[in-house]
Amino acid sequence: MLAPLAARLSKHLAFVSCIATTGGGLAILVILAPTVFSGRELTHFLGHWAPFSGQELGDTFGADPFGLAFALAVAAIGLLLLIFSLSSLLDLGRRELGAYACLSQLLIAALIGSGLTADLVNLFVWFEVAALASYGLTGFFLERPLALEAAFKILVLTNLASFAVFIGAAIIYSDHGALNFGQIEQALHGHTRDADLVALGILLAGFATKAGVIPFHGWLADAHTAAPGPVSALFSGLMVNLGVVAIVRLSLQIFDSHTADPVLGLLTVLGAISAVVGAVLALAQDDLKRVLAYDTISQMGVLLVGFATHEAAGISGATYHLLNHAIFKSLLFLCAGAIVHATGLDKLSEMGGLARRMPLIAAGFVVGAASIAGVPPLNGYVSLGLIHETLFSHDRAAYVAIVVAQIVTVAALARATYLAFFRRRTQRLPDLTPLHPGMITALVGLGAGCVGFGIFPYEVLRHIVEPAAGGLLASNAYAAGVLSAGAHLPIPAVNYAYFSARDFLTALGTLAAGLALAAWYVRVPEPRPITWLRALHTGSVNDYASYLTAGGIVTVAVLVIR
Amino acid sequence: MIVANYLTAAALFCFGLYTVLTRRNLIKMVMGLSLIESSSYLLLISMAYRRGSTPPVLLNPPHGQTVTGLAKGNVADPVLQNFCLTAIVIGVAVTAVFLSVAVRVSQHYRSLDSDRMREMKG
Repeated sequence: MLAPLAARLSKHLAFVSCIATTGGGLAILVILAPTVFSGRELTHFLGHWAPFSGQELGDTFGADPFGLAFALAVAAIGLLLLIFSLSSLLDLGRRELGAYACLSQLLIAALIGSGLTADLVNLFVWFEVAALASYGLTGFFLERPLALEAAFKILVLTNLASFAVFIGAAIIYSDHGALNFGQIEQALHGHTRDADLVALGILLAGFATKAGVIPFHGWLADAHTAAPGPVSALFSGLMVNLGVVAIVRLSLQIFDSHTADPVLGLLTVLGAISAVVGAVLALAQDDLKRVLAYDTISQMGVLLVGFATHEAAGISGATYHLLNHAIFKSLLFLCAGAIVHATGLDKLSEMGGLARRMPLIAAGFVVGAASIAGVPPLNGYVSLGLIHETLFSHDRAAYVAIVVAQIVTVAALARATYLAFFRRRTQRLPDLTPLHPGMITALVGLGAGCVGFGIFPYEVLRHIVEPAAGGLLASNAYAAGVLSAGAHLPIPAVNYAYFSARDFLTALGTLAAGLALAAWYVRVPEPRPITWLRALHTGSVNDYASYLTAGGIVTVAVLVIR
Repeated sequence: MIVANYLTAAALFCFGLYTVLTRRNLIKMVMGLSLIESSSYLLLISMAYRRGSTPPVLLNPPHGQTVTGLAKGNVADPVLQNFCLTAIVIGVAVTAVFLSVAVRVSQHYRSLDSDRMREMKG
């Protein structure tokens, strides 16, 4: 928070203080990690206001493995993004650097807080802090008209979402007198009324807006297009996950068993629609960052479908994919940002032949794209394999939707990679700005993350992902834990075979089909259905707000009618 | 009548939402969002209401009443009132950000029409 002041003294001081505080936060989380991932939930009552006969009045923080995994990912990737962005912004003035450092740290802090909080209003506050920081970061280069436009869109939509979250929390409180997650869970046991379901619907709509799930997604692509590369990475890799984490906590840990079916069904449908439509829209974009932004929408859909399986393997796969997505999407956005930084180009139609001039960025982008595509040694293969495997035995319709989405995703990224890096270039490129060492550090770090999470799947599963899934499934134990001094959460064992024939063939099949689709798509004019789909995205903030409202009404209606 | 409060809150919310969905002028949209915001304040204060309750203040009890009597008696819900204060503070901050963006938009586009800012679509 002191970064703007430090920047007045010296730019390097601001840089160092910012990195040091984020690194310190990361170190604290890492110290907690072994205890929490061994299945122990840690609880802290703010101001030591411990619960009195099952009633908790103060704020509660509860570090369960799922929340801590998210917080760790935010702190570690956030640190790399700060190194990248601050070293590329060192050319800017002191005030800009200080403000940028302050806003990004605010966002990172809000995300860590939202992962660890166990209090509904506290969650709303973190949501709002993240929202305010994101407004500032979207409109950071206010002299660009695109940034103004995007800032207004994100303001209107996120503001509506934050009202939804606020009202939802208030309804739950006035119904049960509870804000602590554990207390709500216990109050809801057998006493779920229609008002609670309305509240749940409103809360889900609010957090789905943050997560960018279709039809709540209007702000996402525009905010990513207008913001600088590292900010897009922060939004797409980390911030949208806030919505997913909150949705998962609400639907699995708080509104568990008795209302689970309609909620999980709703999440599966929303997720499948987001996955397919997001991927199709990504295929059609000309702006490199919009390709990646629509792909984020698609991946959030995949995550929701994975979590909605309510099976240990599916939830593990989705948690794994959440971490993977944070790594590879940050990497891809940093590459896109580095291209803009070095060449000033952002349209795929103007790029081409960049691989020869920017080999490091090309390598980073290919690693990221191959991870999303699920190419075997990289991380996407494992998490997608787990999700596909669970859906195959659990829900065939969702399986088909997710595999189709995966094929289109592969096609979209293959098309972008080909057009940007490997197409033959006719005109000369402008002179390139060289990369700073900080930028290279971040790219290499994230690339190593993609490879590391891919070649040590059993370690990640056993030490991070399985405990997280256990905490999400054992809602009673979690609830008891945040109402007392912590609890032991069970750790399920997930069967995962790295070289299972079906996983391998699915990965190969989607890859081949996706490449074929990309090869076909770059040759034909835009197909009619895609034009219609794109025409729905009118760019008018009123229309996006209408989609959001309609989505919210449908969500509430589905939950109440069942 | 507390029902009247709920109805007013609902009406305010609907007006606000209608404004956000149909008006293209940025300032009017901000006003619509403010209306939604005020409807939420009214809703919360009404939800905190109990018939014949005293304010949730335990210091200096009125004549003839004790602190423990007040705490065990009929008190308006302080948590919801606290929510409302939080929401007011956040609302002010967000409105300030909104208006500063609107000012920059009007300087740049010489207009407040949101239809002029539709460069990013599809």
